[in-house]
Amino acid sequence: MNPFVLSAGRLFAVEEGVEEGGELHDITQTPSVFWPEPYEIIFGGFASLLIFGLLYKFAGPLVKKAMAARTARIQAELDGGEAARTAAQAEATQIRAAMGDIDSERTRMLAQADEQAERILDEGRTRTQVEVAELQARAEADLSAASGRVGDELRSEIARLSSAAVDQVVTGSLDDATHQELIESFITRVGARS
Amino acid sequence: MNDNRIEGYARGLFEIARAEGVVDAVEDELFQFARSYESNDALRNALTDEQIPAARRQAIVEDLLGAQASTTTMQLVSMVIGAGRGRDLPAIVDNLVAKASATKQLEVAEVRTAVPLTTNQHVRIKAALVNATGKQLNMKVVVDPSILGGVVATVGDTVIDGSVRTRIDQLKSRL
Repeated sequence: MNPFVLSAGRLFAVEEGVEEGGELHDITQTPSVFWPEPYEIIFGGFASLLIFGLLYKFAGPLVKKAMAARTARIQAELDGGEAARTAAQAEATQIRAAMGDIDSERTRMLAQADEQAERILDEGRTRTQVEVAELQARAEADLSAASGRVGDELRSEIARLSSAAVDQVVTGSLDDATHQELIESFITRVGARS
Repeated sequence: MNDNRIEGYARGLFEIARAEGVVDAVEDELFQFARSYESNDALRNALTDEQIPAARRQAIVEDLLGAQASTTTMQLVSMVIGAGRGRDLPAIVDNLVAKASATKQLEVAEVRTAVPLTTNQHVRIKAALVNATGKQLNMKVVVDPSILGGVVATVGDTVIDGSVRTRIDQLKSRL
């Protein structure tokens, strides 16, 4: 049995027994295993209604206000969350766009770098080829000049030595008989002219 | 010296020689002296040096020619040197020789040899040159050891070069 109902029933039972002078029965015993005494139901019902009424009268507005505040707070949090989600989505979009831009920029820069590298390589190759050709031409010219110079010097030296040798040999061989022979030869040669 | 002055001096010397009646000897001696003068730097420098008094230069001429040339030749050269025309002496002499040759209808032929010619060679060379050029010649022989050997004959603008010097030069140029 409900302890509250049991206590109230016992109290009313005692009071009823005293006033009527009747037989006092055991208040722990009820007519039904499941149902309390009727008065218990009546008083209990009124008391419950009173309590519920008071609760509705005084605590209801507070609860309603708290619920409204809670609802507003939850709504605000939901709104904030939505705004944050929107912002996050926008930021994500921006980041994706930025990533796309970065990718395209990276691709462009890589392409530009490749182009520049190729151009520099080509220029370097061309310049190197030109320089090599110039060096080769210069070296060949130097070699040719050196060869010519050495050849000229050699020829000059040979000519000088030969001239000196010719002078010495001819002068040494010009005796009186040779002089006379030369003069006679001149006379013969000139005399043959006409 | 300009040509007129050379011509004037040559004509003067020629007239003096002709007046003395020694044109042939004087022109020959002057020619020989002029060739020696050309080939001898020391002599040429001494006779053209204005710092040396004219009398001193004339004394040098007299010392050189006194025993080898006629008095007329010596005096003519001395006069040219004393007048300060030593640099033009060869040109004056060449003009005089040409003038003397022209009076005899002859062309001057200069023959250079390394050694002196014999009379026979002289005659035969002259005959050969006359035959070769077809001209009557007044042949002047110059002994010039620088040609080493052979003969170089110059007749007007014609040069017949049979010298050893020229042959050696040709050989050297080919070398």
